[in-house]
Amino acid sequence: MRELRIAAVADIHLGEDLRGHYRKKIEGIERRADVLLVGGDLTRHGTIPEARVVADELSGLPIPVVAVLGNHDYHSDRNAEIIDLLRDAGITVLDDEGTVVPIDGVRLGVAGGKGFGGGFAGKCASEFGEPETKAFVRHTKEIAERWRRALKELDADYKIVLSHYSPVKDTLMGEPPEIYPFLGSYMLAEAADAEGADLFIHGHAHAGTEKGVTPGGIRVRNVALPVIKHAYTVYCLNGGY
Amino acid sequence: METPHYVAARVQRALAEDERTTELGIRVDVRGEEVYLRGQVSCDERRHQIVNVAREAAPGLRVHNELTLVEVREPGEEEHL
Repeated sequence: MRELRIAAVADIHLGEDLRGHYRKKIEGIERRADVLLVGGDLTRHGTIPEARVVADELSGLPIPVVAVLGNHDYHSDRNAEIIDLLRDAGITVLDDEGTVVPIDGVRLGVAGGKGFGGGFAGKCASEFGEPETKAFVRHTKEIAERWRRALKELDADYKIVLSHYSPVKDTLMGEPPEIYPFLGSYMLAEAADAEGADLFIHGHAHAGTEKGVTPGGIRVRNVALPVIKHAYTVYCLNGGY
Repeated sequence: METPHYVAARVQRALAEDERTTELGIRVDVRGEEVYLRGQVSCDERRHQIVNVAREAAPGLRVHNELTLVEVREPGEEEHL
């Protein structure tokens, strides 16, 4: 089976003031990668004009683009419209679901969505007490359950989880430990480990580090732009099921 | 004089919540009458806005701009997994 070259980036935080800048950096991406994955925080405030900049920068590339939203993209409560706008521009946006991208006869399965926080095993919030606390934890739990189903249903040669929030602490190293519960949740890793995947891509933690691994052994990569400091990073998958 | 701890918290919240900035990852340290801003931003205009919002949230204090610009480089070496 052919090797797949996965370009990944997150936290591009585009707005009118950056129009044209990112596009310039990804010209020629088809010579380096087969697909581009974008792990959320596409905009700064989650407005429609910012989403239009994102659509203009990411659409019309010679390779498929798969994206998820991040917390910034929810800020103006226009997340559903942003998803529609990006999809109309030809970008596949995952909202707690999976997709299969065919690449030269190889099926690349990508599942995921924004994700959410809650913390990591032993130091996390639980569904107990005030309704606000329970709602916070339940949100992550429900997301993880949808991802588990999406991964299970993917009929693919390679599987990648694409998220904004982190599944592990490893890639948060550099962030203050006090804010870890707002940066990710072990439940996201648990869902991926239960169904199996070749790679887990996320962003959100600008001060974190690039490389980590889930408790079940899935490689995790934090591709937040301030972490990778490149327009994108390319990961080559050689294995498969 | 207001407790530096609360000034720092107020500036940090302003940077996160003000529509001009919405920056969650800026570190704010207050020592006496000096405010230090550290972190990475993607363009010079955003760096100036952060300083402006911090000045408004900490009137009378001296704001030091120690923010750095993220330099988005061309893609580098690929990783084989």
